[in-house]
Amino acid sequence: MGFEALLGAVAEVASGGSILFLLAGVFLGLCFGVIPGLGGTTALALLIPVTFGMDSLDAMYLAGGVMGATSFGGSITAILLNTPGTAPNAATTFDGYPLAQQGKAGLAIGAAACASSMGGLIGLVTLIIFIPLAKEIVLSFGPAEFFLLTVLGLAAIAVSVRGKLLRGLIAGGVGLIIAFIGADTITGDLRFTGGINYLWDGVPLVPALTGMFAISQMIELALKGGTVATSSGQDEAANMKISGVGEGVLSVFKNWGVLLRGSVIGTLIGAIPGLGGTVASFLAYSSTVQTDKDPESYGKGNIRGVIAPESANNAKDGGSLIPTVAFGIPGSAETALFLGILVLHGIDPGPTILLYHEREIYGLIVAITFAAVAASLIGLVLSRFLVLITRIDVGIVVPVVVAISLTGVYVLDGRMADVLLTVIMGVIGYLMIRFDYPRLTLVIALVLGETAERSFHQVQLISDGQPLGFMMTRGISVLLIAAIIITFFLPIARKLFQKKSAA
Amino acid sequence: MMNKFCAGIAALGVLSAGMALAEFPEDKPVKFVVPYSAGGGFDTIVRTFAPAVEETLGATVVPENIKGASGTRGGQAVARSKPDGYTIGIYNIPGLTVSQTLGRDLGFSLDDVSWIANLAQSKYGIAVKGDSPVNTIEDLCNLGHAIKLSDTGKDTTSSITSVIAFNIIGCDIVNVTGYSGSNDTMIAVMRGEVDATLKPISSLAKYTATDDLKLIVTFTDDTVVEGVQNTTELGFPTLAKFGLNRVVGGPPNMPADVIETLAAGFKDAVASPAIVEWAAGTSTDLSFMDAAETKAMMDELSEFYLQYKDLLQ
Repeated sequence: MGFEALLGAVAEVASGGSILFLLAGVFLGLCFGVIPGLGGTTALALLIPVTFGMDSLDAMYLAGGVMGATSFGGSITAILLNTPGTAPNAATTFDGYPLAQQGKAGLAIGAAACASSMGGLIGLVTLIIFIPLAKEIVLSFGPAEFFLLTVLGLAAIAVSVRGKLLRGLIAGGVGLIIAFIGADTITGDLRFTGGINYLWDGVPLVPALTGMFAISQMIELALKGGTVATSSGQDEAANMKISGVGEGVLSVFKNWGVLLRGSVIGTLIGAIPGLGGTVASFLAYSSTVQTDKDPESYGKGNIRGVIAPESANNAKDGGSLIPTVAFGIPGSAETALFLGILVLHGIDPGPTILLYHEREIYGLIVAITFAAVAASLIGLVLSRFLVLITRIDVGIVVPVVVAISLTGVYVLDGRMADVLLTVIMGVIGYLMIRFDYPRLTLVIALVLGETAERSFHQVQLISDGQPLGFMMTRGISVLLIAAIIITFFLPIARKLFQKKSAA
Repeated sequence: MMNKFCAGIAALGVLSAGMALAEFPEDKPVKFVVPYSAGGGFDTIVRTFAPAVEETLGATVVPENIKGASGTRGGQAVARSKPDGYTIGIYNIPGLTVSQTLGRDLGFSLDDVSWIANLAQSKYGIAVKGDSPVNTIEDLCNLGHAIKLSDTGKDTTSSITSVIAFNIIGCDIVNVTGYSGSNDTMIAVMRGEVDATLKPISSLAKYTATDDLKLIVTFTDDTVVEGVQNTTELGFPTLAKFGLNRVVGGPPNMPADVIETLAAGFKDAVASPAIVEWAAGTSTDLSFMDAAETKAMMDELSEFYLQYKDLLQ
């Protein structure tokens, strides 16, 4: 049934002028993705009022185009400027940027483009297969599982920062403290607000992440001067005439295991409301590093370090629709806005959404997938021009990026305080670069902190104060506990094993 | 006496301001402030009403989202505007009423808002899991433990209603809050981690239609769903007073003729086919009240919640 409806939706997209809305969405998504500070959420939030006068299906194509295209757009900036265009591209910077510095930006962009499209396709197939089970999946993930997933994410921090364990943990701890600022979601008590009203609702993520990733990196670049690509890398790039794009595309198929794992992690995390793409791509990256035979090669320009997060990043869109088709609830910030568009068109999302609004849902699925592929193709065509960015003097790059990202932060809610927060986080982020503290661990803890705290509190209440006993009776919880233990002990076991074999 | 005095003052204000603005609405757009982000319940109702009101009022209506600080930032923006009818807003009632009653600073006073109209009202009901052995409120109270209820936040209207209602009924509850939306609170009931949830009947209807949830009581005076008891027949007539209202208001001291023009525009909009059709599709309970009725309702609500001040603090 799923695939028939899918084919119907494909035929509908292909006919008439709908494709124009879709392409407009893709173009918009790419632009919003490339620019740090602007992301899919901002694009959709700004689009909601615009879609009011449109046919509901055309609105879906526009929204789907944006959702599918932003994540690849963001990877371009991540690779070329070490600044994730959208927060989920943060993990891509680890290996993407070193590749760009070595003059292999084409290779990285090719791999990112291909991994994004393939991830999107795999996410879509997984979604269609799991639609009949969607209700069961959503019902088997309660507060206990949400809490354990956040613990798993926090545990992955510890293993992702090899050699810098203490610094990683400090950054993670600071991230958690920042996440706890504001009113407690359960009790309503105010914490760490220092009498500032703005902080009552907590630290908003978009400004915090934009400051952490974009502004800090721009400060770093401005102080360093010159261009992004190192002089040796620049010569190399000039000699190679930015080739390697095709090689990058092929590298994805050579590392299909990495692609598949990234996509599965992306789909799963996407299906869990509140975790989101940043966590999905981070977990995909850290699990790839962990299971690789040569973990030391990461962070220095290993192409798999680009494939894993980028595939997860696009697969998560398919996953985030699982709660939507099951109960009409959002799996991500983007799907929440997409449901807002539906409400505006007189469709009330609920458990019967797939029954009565199949056209809209499948229209969106097709649009997202089409957009992921189209954005990558456009990106590949443009890549030879885009990599030139790495050879532009930072004196030009920095002011442009700073101005646009601060404007983007302001536009989202129209609050000057958000801009101020972005700058403050930018300075903190720069100090972290300067003193070699990993920024992503702070961000992951910041993203996970709220869900971790809230779901733990909920488990306490629903288990009558016996959280552990409650969790041990739930199958998925037990599996997650096992995964957390393995995540903790795998690196230690590997070290012991290496010592033995060395001796 | 005091009331008469106030009315006199207001009338004076109306006279002076009214003469200058006799032409409302001129060729200038009316700003309709939504205190929440685009795509939510309040935003939807405003954006749906905007074109209908444009027609009945003959002026352009532009929705503007000013979100933040639990919906008070939007209310503050309206309160600071000129009372010329070109800035109006939608208010979350009785959420704001309760906050003000509890002495929280909203940044503006609800008593000063020029109330224009009430557009919709939702009544509450309690639902349990579809296959639950619980069939009545009595069964729910006899579970042998404090009833676990799911909700989004401690200060939401439904949470406050739960606390007061179960106090009146006389059963202990544990309010498990923190769910990210009203749909999530209902899914929590389906997962079985809580016993029941109290939500607007129209929201619950989506899940009772698929038998995922079962409605056991409605907070109404009459039977609204066949075979489901209402609180009044159970001997708790006070509970039918609870509801969630979508109220339109403007800056303090708005001239009476401007209020009247706006209220008439909303009244015709509520009756327009486009709005009626939209309401049927989204199970929105349209319920128009004019300016005087709205004001009376607001005063009644303040008094009503004042009785429970101690319970809520």
